[in-house]
Amino acid sequence: MFSSGNVTSRVFERQIRSSPPGASVNRARKFYENLVPSHTLYDVECPDHCFRKFTEDGLFLISFSRNHQELIVYRPSWLTYTSDSDDTLPPLPRRAPRFDSFFTHLYSVNLASANELICKDFFLYFPSRRFGLFATSTAQIHDSAPSPGAVPGVPSIDKITFVLLRLDDGVVLDERVFLHDFVNLAYNMGVFMYDDLLAILSLRYQKIHLLQIRDSGHLVDARAIGYFCREDDELFLNSSSQAMMTSQDKNKQQNREDDAATISQPDAENSFLSGIKQRLLSFIFREIWNEESDNTMRVQNLKKKFYFHFQDYVDLIIWKVQFLDRHHLLIKFGSVDGGVGRNADHLPAFFAVYNMETTDIVAFYQNSAEDLYQLFEQFSDHFTVSSSSPFMNFVTSHSNSVHALEQLKYLKNKSNSFSQFVKKMLVSLPFSCQSQSPSPYFDQSLFRFDEKLISAADRHRQSSDNPIKFISRRKPETLKFKIKPGPECGSADGRSKKICSFLFHPHLPLAISIQQTLFMPPSVVNIHFRR
Amino acid sequence: MGSILGDLPSFDPHNFSQHRPSDPSNPSRMVPTTYHPTHNRTLPPPHQVITTEVKNILIRSFYQRAEDKMRPKRPASEHLAGEHGNKHFRASSSAQGL
Repeated sequence: MFSSGNVTSRVFERQIRSSPPGASVNRARKFYENLVPSHTLYDVECPDHCFRKFTEDGLFLISFSRNHQELIVYRPSWLTYTSDSDDTLPPLPRRAPRFDSFFTHLYSVNLASANELICKDFFLYFPSRRFGLFATSTAQIHDSAPSPGAVPGVPSIDKITFVLLRLDDGVVLDERVFLHDFVNLAYNMGVFMYDDLLAILSLRYQKIHLLQIRDSGHLVDARAIGYFCREDDELFLNSSSQAMMTSQDKNKQQNREDDAATISQPDAENSFLSGIKQRLLSFIFREIWNEESDNTMRVQNLKKKFYFHFQDYVDLIIWKVQFLDRHHLLIKFGSVDGGVGRNADHLPAFFAVYNMETTDIVAFYQNSAEDLYQLFEQFSDHFTVSSSSPFMNFVTSHSNSVHALEQLKYLKNKSNSFSQFVKKMLVSLPFSCQSQSPSPYFDQSLFRFDEKLISAADRHRQSSDNPIKFISRRKPETLKFKIKPGPECGSADGRSKKICSFLFHPHLPLAISIQQTLFMPPSVVNIHFRR
Repeated sequence: MGSILGDLPSFDPHNFSQHRPSDPSNPSRMVPTTYHPTHNRTLPPPHQVITTEVKNILIRSFYQRAEDKMRPKRPASEHLAGEHGNKHFRASSSAQGL
């Protein structure tokens, strides 16, 4: 898009020539090849907080106190100074390697009371109103007493509070409390935000709570999908089940009330499955029924594929949920064992596309389905939806970048079994919300870097002492900048395992790298910026 | 029209009546030649409104695949409707056998 690599000639060219149609953002991002965070300030003196993330519009830096009870918000600013030296690169002032030269402290808010802790891996940003969603929870209880409607085997948390906060001034706008429930809070896994809709998955009660964030800052309950699909299902089922109950059932119910230790699910007395489970089973039935036109074949197929596995299908629980658009959800089903743990990759899982308006299941796939993998390969961008912030669409994925697609194809050819490869790829579905950094330095069409050491996903990584190189994709492929986490001369103790995390500002050439040894708080914070 | 674009036709003779040529020494015709289409095969249907499809391409492909799974079976079942009687008889006897 530019004929030269020099930043001055690019600026002049930008004055006289417009970009190819529809590629104005791509052309603007080309300037990031010239403005790189090449200068590093090592071991900056900074307050001892857990730095979590830059918000995606770059206005705030979110961090939590070490005791996980306070939220501290900073505004990223830029180091400004004057110098009277004639060098092209004047020396930095003495106050440069300090945290507050780059970040101004806005406020600190106490979110968690005595026995609650803020979940430091959970944060969702609502960009149009600059609201932030945080979560506090009490301790997790693993062997909790079974309660009606709860899935046995899922731990329970006494109180989970979701707090909606206005980030401009730190005012708490609204809260939503879940008691004796379990929501997977790590890395936003149990909550998905699409526009102004929130989907919170309660694993314990198998309900998807849909909430709407109003402009005034209120969280409004829209729907709860699980045992009931439509708003008036509960009324209908209660009125019809009372008519169906015989005197025998009434006796059984009295006995159950006496024996408090019995686990009873809502449908145990009613003997029919309701809600999303019913939709799922009837969809599977109709799909198998329609495969053949001959009635004998149909019955045979049903026996083999449906009735043989019937109890397994009934025992499926919802693992994870994401929005595909305003009316469609992608739901991942699996067995009870893998709902909470992270090592559930080898267990069978199923994906279903559910239409909330018609309460129909549109599609159902197993996690080794090649059909679903084809869609994942071609339209991966549409799985990581975010309609409100347009530049989040430029996060590299293998659907919008030739280089990422090449890497994917290389992995595909390298793998021994295609179905194992499909299972491995589909583990990342449904995607977690807001888990990728929109920084253009992670754009695969601009830079090449080692994905194992650093990437757009905000997870901790193993750190190595060698700096991480970002090489330009433009010919000549030169090294543009390096990011070296940890102290300048490497650490003296080379044996302890270090993990590091990187926070890149979404549009400024500014990044923070934090290196810490496991279990030992003092961490080394470096600031990388363009001098 | 004496402009750099040349003598391009228009479908309405009253177009370009306000046009003043940039070069006043070169007199230009104010009325361009008009051409009208000889057929109406390319006209849009009346009251046509073009809007963007609300469902994105991923969801459209899910629905498309679901429809593909449902569709091919129906013509086949209609074709076998004539022999349905025989098959039905045999099916019931095999069910009794089971």
